[in-house]
Amino acid sequence: MPAPRTYWISSRPTGRWDKGGDNVDKEVAIIAYAQTKYEADANASRELQVLEVTVAALKAAGLKREDLDTIITANNDYLDGRTISNMRLVEPSGAWRKNESKVEMDGAFAMLYAVTRILSGDHDIALVVAESQASVYGTYLPGIMMLDPTFDRQRWLLNEVSAAALQASSYMDAAGVSVEQIAGVAAKNLENAALNPVALRSLKGADAKKVLASRPLCSPITELMASPLCDGACALVLASAKAAAKAEKPVWVKGVGFSHDSYLTERGSLDNMGSLKLAAEACYKQAGIDDPASQIELAELHECFAHEELMAYEALGFCDPMQGGAFFDSGATKKGGELPVNTSGGALGANVACAAGLTRVIEAAMQIRGDAGKHQVKGVKTALAHGQTGLCAQENIVYVLGGE
Amino acid sequence: MGAKAGKDPVPRASIPLNPVFNWSVGNWMEYFYDSLKEGKIMGSKCPACGRVSLPPRMICERCFVKVEDWVELPATGTVQACTTASVKVAENGDLVDLEAPEVIAMVKHDGADTCIAARLESKDASVGMRVEAVIDAGAANVLDLLAAYRPLG
Repeated sequence: MPAPRTYWISSRPTGRWDKGGDNVDKEVAIIAYAQTKYEADANASRELQVLEVTVAALKAAGLKREDLDTIITANNDYLDGRTISNMRLVEPSGAWRKNESKVEMDGAFAMLYAVTRILSGDHDIALVVAESQASVYGTYLPGIMMLDPTFDRQRWLLNEVSAAALQASSYMDAAGVSVEQIAGVAAKNLENAALNPVALRSLKGADAKKVLASRPLCSPITELMASPLCDGACALVLASAKAAAKAEKPVWVKGVGFSHDSYLTERGSLDNMGSLKLAAEACYKQAGIDDPASQIELAELHECFAHEELMAYEALGFCDPMQGGAFFDSGATKKGGELPVNTSGGALGANVACAAGLTRVIEAAMQIRGDAGKHQVKGVKTALAHGQTGLCAQENIVYVLGGE
Repeated sequence: MGAKAGKDPVPRASIPLNPVFNWSVGNWMEYFYDSLKEGKIMGSKCPACGRVSLPPRMICERCFVKVEDWVELPATGTVQACTTASVKVAENGDLVDLEAPEVIAMVKHDGADTCIAARLESKDASVGMRVEAVIDAGAANVLDLLAAYRPLG
């Protein structure tokens, strides 16, 4: 059990919030989690998928519904085709007549809400559940609904794929990254996904050539460089230090940072992930990370498209600015490298809207606990997890997790 | 449910959800579109930092102030990013192949600090390319007033 430590939440690396936390001496731990298998068209309703992961996560934690103090769900009215989409998730998430709320973004942000609920001192056990089913909604319509309705949306040119392609174009030009390097990232992650039993898409023996030969979408993006939007749910149980004392192998939330960037056409340039950099800086400050490339032993990144992983290497300080391609070429981020990235296959293996970021947190915690089965990396004590929401990674959240 | 649990897919029903939102484009966008009808490209300018937005924005997120100044911009600009799209999103949300690929670019007008995403009439587009707006002042649909860009010169 680590000694109590000052803990605070900040959305920026400097500023008055950073003085906070003087009266807070609590910590938050991940004590259990569960994922469904991610599928193109799950043979279950979203309610049954949420029930499956909630029951499994509670069982893994050795807890009952009665032990849950607060429940935060991540889901989306548009994706679920109903307003207040968390309403019918009350039953399967064990939230009936309990303290329940919803975050309409990725589950990694719902986790932030749950972390702050525990840090308030009012709650000891929190459940975070995230879900969506791409087989239910018009898969690429939500991306269009994110656009400015008075201009971009009506022009019907931008969508998740074309917007990402524009960002890739801008980044390739600025950093001198090649399409082969971007395809290489996809090949790495799809190869990793072959060892992850819950991943949807994988490709044994993947290489850049096969990725480049897949269906062209918007240059430079081909189908295998784009994450497959799909069905699934995942759940995470968080505990206060007091409650975690009884848990086996708790994984501690060492730091969290988050930041929100401009709408994609208003950033000045799309060639970097500015808000991810700010999120990482705030997170590292809390977690005592001053040399991320050597202190972080594994990272799970929410790369909706392959080039985003290269951009994230830079924003997270794994390498210098504009060196994402060279860092990838060094082999550091392969399984067996010095800083393996997306050993689960990442979002390229399966991208459940609202859940893919929380999945990264779960995968990072699995690695620290030695729970990752065939894709386990030995001896991981400190890992990073990243979640994002919005077009061209507009909003980002970063966690650093650590074992005992 | 009818289907045997774990064996058959759940029955599926297509239930329409077609809410219509009657947004106002706002005074700023209305002025922008009206100006295009006169062949003028108007951007909004932050009174504090001078940042010029095209399309116009009513609030500067950096200075946290309302933007009320206007500036007329030239039709010329530079490609910041471009892609050749082989697919588009169909009305049902699927990605479907386009009959012919089309080039989409992010163009930063000379004098502007933000970008417009638009169709580019060029087969060999590249970042840094100089382009000019194709303005059709007589277009019936305001979206067609500034529908595309073409290489300069």
